[in-house]
Amino acid sequence: MKTKLVALAAVATALTMGVSGCGSSSSSSGSKGDGTIASQMIFGGPPEFKTRPDGIPGLKKNYDVSFGKYTVTDVGGPVTVNALKRGQVDAADLFTTDPSIAANDFVILEDPKSNFAAQNVVPIITKSKATDGVKQVINGIQGKLTTEVLGGLLGKVVNDKADPADVAKGFLSDNGLDTTGTAAKGQSLTVGSANFPENVILGEIYAQALEAQGATISKKMNIGARPKYWESLKQGSIDLFPEYTGSILVYIDKNSTATSPDDVYAALGKALPSNLVALDQADAQDSDAIVVTKETADKFKLKTIADLAKKG
Amino acid sequence: MIGDVFNWLTDPSHWTSTAFDTGIWDQLLAHIGFTLIALAISLVIALPLGLWIGHTGKATWIISVANAARALPTVGVLVLLVVIIAPHFYGRTNNGYLIPTEIVLVLLAVPPILSNTYAGVQNVEPSVRDAAFGMGMTGPQVLFRVELPNSLPLIFSGFRSATLQVIATATIAAYVTLGGLGRFIYDGLAQQDYPQMISGGLLVAALALIADLLLALVQRYTVSRGITGRTRRQDRGSRGPDSRTAVLTEELVSEAT
Amino acid sequence: MTALIPLASASSSPWHFFAYFMDNTSKVLGLLWAHTWLSVVPVVIALILALPLGWLARRYQWAYPPMMSLTGLLYTIPSIALFVLVPPILGLDPLSPLQVPIALTLYSLALLVRVVADGLAAVPQETAQAATALGYKPLGLFFRVELPIAVPVIAAGLRVAVVANVSIVTVAGTIGFKNLGQLFDEGFKLSTDTPYYPPIVLGIILCVLLALALDGLVLLGSRMLTPWRRAVRA
Repeated sequence: MKTKLVALAAVATALTMGVSGCGSSSSSSGSKGDGTIASQMIFGGPPEFKTRPDGIPGLKKNYDVSFGKYTVTDVGGPVTVNALKRGQVDAADLFTTDPSIAANDFVILEDPKSNFAAQNVVPIITKSKATDGVKQVINGIQGKLTTEVLGGLLGKVVNDKADPADVAKGFLSDNGLDTTGTAAKGQSLTVGSANFPENVILGEIYAQALEAQGATISKKMNIGARPKYWESLKQGSIDLFPEYTGSILVYIDKNSTATSPDDVYAALGKALPSNLVALDQADAQDSDAIVVTKETADKFKLKTIADLAKKG
Repeated sequence: MIGDVFNWLTDPSHWTSTAFDTGIWDQLLAHIGFTLIALAISLVIALPLGLWIGHTGKATWIISVANAARALPTVGVLVLLVVIIAPHFYGRTNNGYLIPTEIVLVLLAVPPILSNTYAGVQNVEPSVRDAAFGMGMTGPQVLFRVELPNSLPLIFSGFRSATLQVIATATIAAYVTLGGLGRFIYDGLAQQDYPQMISGGLLVAALALIADLLLALVQRYTVSRGITGRTRRQDRGSRGPDSRTAVLTEELVSEAT
Repeated sequence: MTALIPLASASSSPWHFFAYFMDNTSKVLGLLWAHTWLSVVPVVIALILALPLGWLARRYQWAYPPMMSLTGLLYTIPSIALFVLVPPILGLDPLSPLQVPIALTLYSLALLVRVVADGLAAVPQETAQAATALGYKPLGLFFRVELPIAVPVIAAGLRVAVVANVSIVTVAGTIGFKNLGQLFDEGFKLSTDTPYYPPIVLGIILCVLLALALDGLVLLGSRMLTPWRRAVRA
């Protein structure tokens, strides 16, 4: 009996030793070794960046950049930032409004060939709910949203840990958008947002402004990623959602080639299902960006994404 | 949909790894790796501790604490450990995420092994124990020659329950950048590749079933026939591939009756 | 811009979970309520379904092995996979608030069918025979003799199911469902530069308290339903 147990334990230990090496690696090695800077790098980004047209395939097509390895992190969140900061990855996919880019001295590589399409903030709304009054309220907000303003609002949540609802309230009162009125009276809307802080702030801004104008609002904040909420938006269980022109366009139409803000906005108008409509796009952009640390940028003299394809 | 899942699973390119995509074989190995590390550590902690507590009757509060630990929310503990531990690792290492994940898995696996080992030793009939002492056996001899073999069925049940929980929960490694079969579930969800996501779920379920069948076989050949033949209720529990619930109810029945 | 009033919860110390709670009382209570609902209702529905199924498995020997294999199989599917699989299988809106309770009901059912069957199996045969001799019809025998005797075992199963549910519900929180799991997601997302402990610690504390409270309630209910056990002990 005892010997059997000992033997079992030995087998288990041997197995553990044998596979623990494999257990700790999330993606296998196997660089092409074509000598480019990118081929020596590990890239960190969300799962969908691997397959998205403007993700890894787009970088290959537009800049002939292919990274040596890919580590799945998160959607421009703390995992990606920390992986880059601590050297787990060498380059990463982050969002341009992210306050941690400046905080950590990260360098955004320029994108001269517009691999990343314009990503202006745009509210997507159910057509039947888009009355003139509702449009007027939301488009008034859109006019005030610039990239700097959005970055500032985001900083309050991410750095000062303020509640997104309070940050939204502050924005509305600072811009005189919180006046009570009757522009949206009699309307009832469900406002949603994805589960990252910036999107929650935007959802709160829309919801609170409409509420001040007499609408009956129910909120569905912090819904997961796009696949989770898009169906609900299409089916009308959510009426209003803050979106980004480029991402939502590519999501609906995988073959879209538009890149400039106006082209993307126009293409989005055509691509949306007939029951949904895009209101005015804001100046504020929150685009994907390829980001490296300052040390990496200095070491390889990187300024644009194209530099990654040079021999290192 | 079923056809798509079948096609995804039978596509040979999904089984092997490339520079960018880790294939099913490698993720399967990673998943087994997470599981074995967690189970090995848990066994080393829980088995001696459970035997000692059952044999001596001391410190039974540890059993209650371990059982109360089941109330800890797995995801919360994982996130807490990640934000504490991950910042201390620099460079090309996953240890900042691997260590928290393993701690969480060990926390899951220890309670069933510990409480079943303890219950197994406790349930040895006093007359049997007395007879062993009467034959002149020393304390350790009674523990290893009488109490341990007699409690093996319950220990195995606990271990199988722990194995199933660890295999199912190791999917959350993917939530914190690691590999394993959970990668297909999270990636499939993010990439709208539902066949990939469903395949991931099926692969985890298949791994759990196979692991449990293997353990059932091992149990059949290590547990003395004299013991399995005598207690019918335990025998039924060890038969099917469904010991996770079997174990729970076995514990409960012994507790409640 | 008017400066926002600095919030007490802006402190990242783990010990400031209470300040965080005070600053976000209504939000946290809302999450706690949703969490409680998600932890309790599926178990109740599962119990109602498990009683006839467990009885069947006990009554007809042939039904036992396939039923146990099926429920055991169900329990090996990781919860995150089950959450996302339920809507396409049942044709629900992917955001339907029903998918999490349905998945949890399936898990609890898997556990409770076996508990009910085994609890009924633990009823001594002489007892059932005596009751039959006294004139109990099968239905009366089940509800007035077998079921009450099986209460302690079933209650023990309920305790396991409820405590497990409290933990599984948090997994749904990380994919956007309203419950205490969102506190973990929030803490994780705001832990970019330094760890932001308060929501994470608060979430863990509330989950544990909820699990212990529900566990205690089931125990209490079981004691009240089986007064004879106390009598024997005293």
